[in-house]
Amino acid sequence: MNTLAAWLIAAQFARRRTTSLLSLLAIALGVALGYAIHLINDTALADFRQAMRSVQGEPDAIVAPRDTTGSVGLALVEELTRDPAVLVVAPVIEVRVRVDQHALPVRLIGLDVFSAPAVMPALLPEGREAQASRAILDGGVYASPALLAKLALAPGDHLSLWRGNSRWPAVLAGQLPGSRPGDLLLVADIAWVQAHFGPPAGVGEARIRLAPGVDATRWRQALAERLPSDLLIRSDDDDSARVSNLSRAYRVNLNVLALVALLTGAFLVFANQLTAVAQRASQFALLGVLGLSPRRLMLQILGEALAIGLPGALLGLALGHALATAFTQTLGGDLGGGYFSGSAPTIIARPLPALGFLALGCAASLAGAAYPAWLNRQQDLAQALKSGFAEETASSSARHLWLPTVLGVLAYGLAQLPPVGDLPLAGYASIALLLVMGITAAPWLTQRVFAAGAELPLAAHQRIALQNVAQAPLLAQVAASGLIVSFALTISMVTMVSSFRLAVDRWLDEVLPAPLYLRGKATPLPDELLAALRQPDSPFARFEQTMHAALALDVQRPNVALIVREIDRDQPEARLPFTGAVSQPPPTQPVVWISEATQELYRLHSGQRVRLPLLGREIEVFIGGVWRDYVRQFGAIVISRSDYERLGGRFAASDLALWPQAGHSATAAAWLAPLAARFGCEVADAGEIRQLSLSIFDQSFAVTHALEAAAMLIGLFGLAVTLAANVWLRARELATLGALGFDRHMLSQAVILEGVLIALVGLLIGLACGIAIGAVLTYVINPQAFHWRMTLSVPWPSALAGAALTLAAATVASRYAARQATRLPLAQILADAQ
Amino acid sequence: MSRRNFLRCALLLPALARAASPTTVSPYPAVVPGHRLIFPRDHGAHPEFRTEWWYVTGALDTPRADIGFQLTFFRSRPGIAENLHSPLAPSQILFAHAALSLPGDRLRHSERSARANLGAGFSTSDCDVHIGAWQLAREGRSSGEIFRLRMHSANFAYELILEPTQPPMLQGDDGYSRKGHVPGLASYYVSWPQLQTTGTLILDGRRHAASGRAWFDHEWSTAILGGAAVGWDWVGINLADGGALMAFRLRDRQGSTVFAHAAWRQADGLVHRFDDRSLSFTPRRFWSSPRSAARYPVELEIRLGAHVLRTLPLLDDQELSTSRPTPLTYWEGLVKLEGSFNGRGYLEMTGYAGHLQL
Amino acid sequence: MLSVADLAKRHSGAARPVFSSLSFAVAAGEIVALVGESGIGKSTLLNCIAGLDTPETGAIRIGRAQTDIVRLDPAGRAALRARQIGFVFQAFHILPTLSVEQNIAVPLLLGGVAANERAQRIEALLARVGLSGFALRRPATLSGGELQRVAIARALVHKPGLILADEPTGNLDPRTAGEILSLLLAQVRAEQAAALIVTHSQPLAMRCDRILTLTAEGLR
Repeated sequence: MNTLAAWLIAAQFARRRTTSLLSLLAIALGVALGYAIHLINDTALADFRQAMRSVQGEPDAIVAPRDTTGSVGLALVEELTRDPAVLVVAPVIEVRVRVDQHALPVRLIGLDVFSAPAVMPALLPEGREAQASRAILDGGVYASPALLAKLALAPGDHLSLWRGNSRWPAVLAGQLPGSRPGDLLLVADIAWVQAHFGPPAGVGEARIRLAPGVDATRWRQALAERLPSDLLIRSDDDDSARVSNLSRAYRVNLNVLALVALLTGAFLVFANQLTAVAQRASQFALLGVLGLSPRRLMLQILGEALAIGLPGALLGLALGHALATAFTQTLGGDLGGGYFSGSAPTIIARPLPALGFLALGCAASLAGAAYPAWLNRQQDLAQALKSGFAEETASSSARHLWLPTVLGVLAYGLAQLPPVGDLPLAGYASIALLLVMGITAAPWLTQRVFAAGAELPLAAHQRIALQNVAQAPLLAQVAASGLIVSFALTISMVTMVSSFRLAVDRWLDEVLPAPLYLRGKATPLPDELLAALRQPDSPFARFEQTMHAALALDVQRPNVALIVREIDRDQPEARLPFTGAVSQPPPTQPVVWISEATQELYRLHSGQRVRLPLLGREIEVFIGGVWRDYVRQFGAIVISRSDYERLGGRFAASDLALWPQAGHSATAAAWLAPLAARFGCEVADAGEIRQLSLSIFDQSFAVTHALEAAAMLIGLFGLAVTLAANVWLRARELATLGALGFDRHMLSQAVILEGVLIALVGLLIGLACGIAIGAVLTYVINPQAFHWRMTLSVPWPSALAGAALTLAAATVASRYAARQATRLPLAQILADAQ
Repeated sequence: MSRRNFLRCALLLPALARAASPTTVSPYPAVVPGHRLIFPRDHGAHPEFRTEWWYVTGALDTPRADIGFQLTFFRSRPGIAENLHSPLAPSQILFAHAALSLPGDRLRHSERSARANLGAGFSTSDCDVHIGAWQLAREGRSSGEIFRLRMHSANFAYELILEPTQPPMLQGDDGYSRKGHVPGLASYYVSWPQLQTTGTLILDGRRHAASGRAWFDHEWSTAILGGAAVGWDWVGINLADGGALMAFRLRDRQGSTVFAHAAWRQADGLVHRFDDRSLSFTPRRFWSSPRSAARYPVELEIRLGAHVLRTLPLLDDQELSTSRPTPLTYWEGLVKLEGSFNGRGYLEMTGYAGHLQL
Repeated sequence: MLSVADLAKRHSGAARPVFSSLSFAVAAGEIVALVGESGIGKSTLLNCIAGLDTPETGAIRIGRAQTDIVRLDPAGRAALRARQIGFVFQAFHILPTLSVEQNIAVPLLLGGVAANERAQRIEALLARVGLSGFALRRPATLSGGELQRVAIARALVHKPGLILADEPTGNLDPRTAGEILSLLLAQVRAEQAAALIVTHSQPLAMRCDRILTLTAEGLR
């Protein structure tokens, strides 16, 4: 039995080499993309988590301030160490400093050598413990090998560490052998870091290792209850959740794109198997007559699909691995998404996900063959043996509009639902329904178009051909479905990306009011620099300062950016792109303006009073408005410098927006450049920032465009294959036409006309569905996954050009089918059909 | 943690520190004869001195006979970061070491270390020193004074109350204890023998009521170990008749005595002192460690004038290895004393496991 | 070997039955010709016997065990066909993608015959149908007569008790038709199988053991 199956599969491959190979490649492509995205993300996440662990260790709990400018008081640290459930409390102070004149800001981690070994062994200095301990306690600074190489430093060198106005002349005592390759780190004793860079009466965070046998969860809960409101307690799980949250939405989006590739692969298998079944209907019937049971016959068709799916999926795995490796080497672990910086991790494949993707590839091919297999089972053996594949006319009932209408209403309803666990799952379901809606609308439209076509003053052979399709549109629908799906997806992506780009472009105008910007790269600007800008010889009329901090509002989410700006609290709309009306704050209350992401993630709204963990305490602030932010996906809060200082905050700007004096705009940048370089700062004009932002935007959608192209190719290929199959299925009809006197040229013309009309149907529905899906992407997926809102703008010129191009390509594909028609052995067919 | 060897480490700390540090180190005070000790002030820390320890050893009779326990807190002033403007400056560092000897079992031990103000601390007005949850503190009560002792680790823990039955014993000349023939090699040294001990012992998670006798030492100094000395033999014994015996010697590389001293206080308070001429240590039985290959004279014959005494270990293997501040292997454990008078106490032997790695 | 009892068949929606109360039997080794006008229901009868169509009433018992194919489900019918029935068709129905040898092997594969026995039987049958040396040929390279010889070999290779042939010479020229008919009759007799041959050809019918004529009134 298996021998027979193998013979038939081998024969099928030999006969339909090109189609089978392309189906296999499509499956491979889908699996490869999905697997590559999975591998890249998995590796990047693992790498990021490991990097975090090597620096942070694996404590049972971390007590940290909610406001990154805050600290954990020494009294609390003392209290924690005296808890019998606690084995070790490892306090840490981490700051970003500059080394000598180098522009690169470096992480300086102040640790305590007595407690660090139990929690963060990877950060310990080199050398025998006793000597190393003495050297670090005496103010020695240790650097990771990567940093030594980068800054060309060697142990024994004197170096000046500085941040803002603080300077620390230190001695490089040695290396950090436990740091990971590529880590740029400095480690010193916590007291020395504190003495030079603060915080004044506390530590940055306390990492806790509990005594063996202590129930960590309960201990953390108990502590959380009595912790002051400005502090939070985190566990390793929280950190993992936070890291995974960091790129989750982006990851899911890419995976959905991969799924689209896989679906198109499945569609191709479908087209291929349907054709194969149609062509071999009489052969399958013969096998049935000779005694192959119906079940085995069905298994045979599924087996043939699997014979395409399995090698395709295996090839996909290999391809995916190669892709992942290539991408991480060139773009880094986040595919240009900007979530994990500076790492090019090694791809490590694990068996379970690989098996999962293998199964997915096989499942796609089986799903593609399921309908053809079912259709074959419906065939009457005796009938099929005599006259080949017979199309049921039962599908006429599907030619009504009620199904697509119901689906459309459902899709609309799903698009109104909120996200599930921060993911726009209902939105994705809505997209899927819209695609199905398009496909189910195809019979109705096909019939209309072909019936209308048959009414046109065409040559008789063409009218008859069109009439036939209108009556039995099964394969025409299949061909159209492929185009509907691929064109709809392409149009939707193009629409979404173009809407987004337009919105970003406008937004950049609003958020870049000044001609020139200076960035301190996360370290405060020294007073010396600010003083120079205020000198009479300075070409600047004025400048505005910005300070950056962060607030942990939820331990499982990435921090919310806190931006302290020199902004008029009564006129914030002059600087922030508000999405709605700005509420007038009460005169005595501090006011903040939150980004759209903050609004959605934390369910806040304009005009609300809310308590924020600011400056070591909880402060009630008034939300004055919501502004648009396409940068900080996890939220941002702006507060004015005046309010911040009134609350007791120490303002230390790291960024400046500068307005040159009239007539000095040309020379101002040149004047500023050497000054900025002296302090390791970056200067950019608004145009450069704008250009860079847009190019990053374009880069991050590069993968999407590749997928669009692949989807269109697959759709067109499906069209060609199904049209050819159609020719085979209607061989008798064409042969009869031939016998009635239509020459081969006329037959070919009829087939081409059919193809073009089918493509037209597909493109029309595809365009409509594409715009609908684009709207779902723009109004549902983007806001729910990334909290980016924008208005829909359909790029009509490119959409119509794409449609025209596809139609032209469809004509070419139809010619391929028409060639099949001219090759039909008409006499043989007529003879067989007696 | 061996207190004697710890001293040697502490001596080296400032030398290394000075090589890298431009900060000025305020001088360590000298240990001088004739200085009057005042209590409870002098039970507290003396942070200006280079080194200091509080040291409790004892034997428990319940839950089982002859369980040895030991808890030591060391304070070190390494002379670094003294001018650093930070409450966390590592100018005072604390180490603690605890051990438990169970006859027929193995020796259990655990250690802690931290800088003052960051997980550790001490009082300068009374005995109160802690690292994390480990603590040794004196408390005045209406019924008298007590010491409270607390430590816990993965496989053993104890919380004990020590009640004096006798006044403290000032070693040397009213607490001025010489450690060599050279003037200046000395410490202030206060012992408190015959402490009635009660409390709780936790073994592998199970709690037991505990009782026994303990010995408290408090010693601070700037310079102790000098000259040719490479190691120590020391005993502190609570005698069965209520008396107390403290004896030590410093050995050179050949094993000969460089300096020795002993004090025997009778139950009635009469103190007898012995020096090199009237005091001798003679090995009678050795035990070789399978781990370090060191050969320890676990049975020592001690001659005090006409009195002949012999130490009998309750467990041969009471060898320890500690990692901080420097890796160190030595023998420290509970022994019985037999001979002219009987008792139980601690014997400490250092400098046998190769050279001290500093 | 084949016994048909009280068979009736009506197409769905049709007022008049195709046939009713048909009863006949074909013994082992007997070759029976079934003749009749076009559209009278010969193919429908043949389809019912092969289990490809289901009669309204009646029984069709096949083989020594006299299994009633009407009572079987599609899988059971397929299994019975695979064991007990050999087919020869007017349009040959040789699988174009398989070689001659593989085509003949299909019934053996369905019956689970071991590879070495398969090879022996195929070789022997190829010799009997005059196609020695054709084993590896592709069907596309064969003439109509050769294709029908392959079909005869395939119909006999698994030693079925019943051979059903539907116009086996209908697509062949008269000379070849005669050769093929001789071959078919000789081989069926050699196997001692029962055979029912549907035909329009009077010469063919005459060479069978018995002729059944299907009319609107029934069998004659």
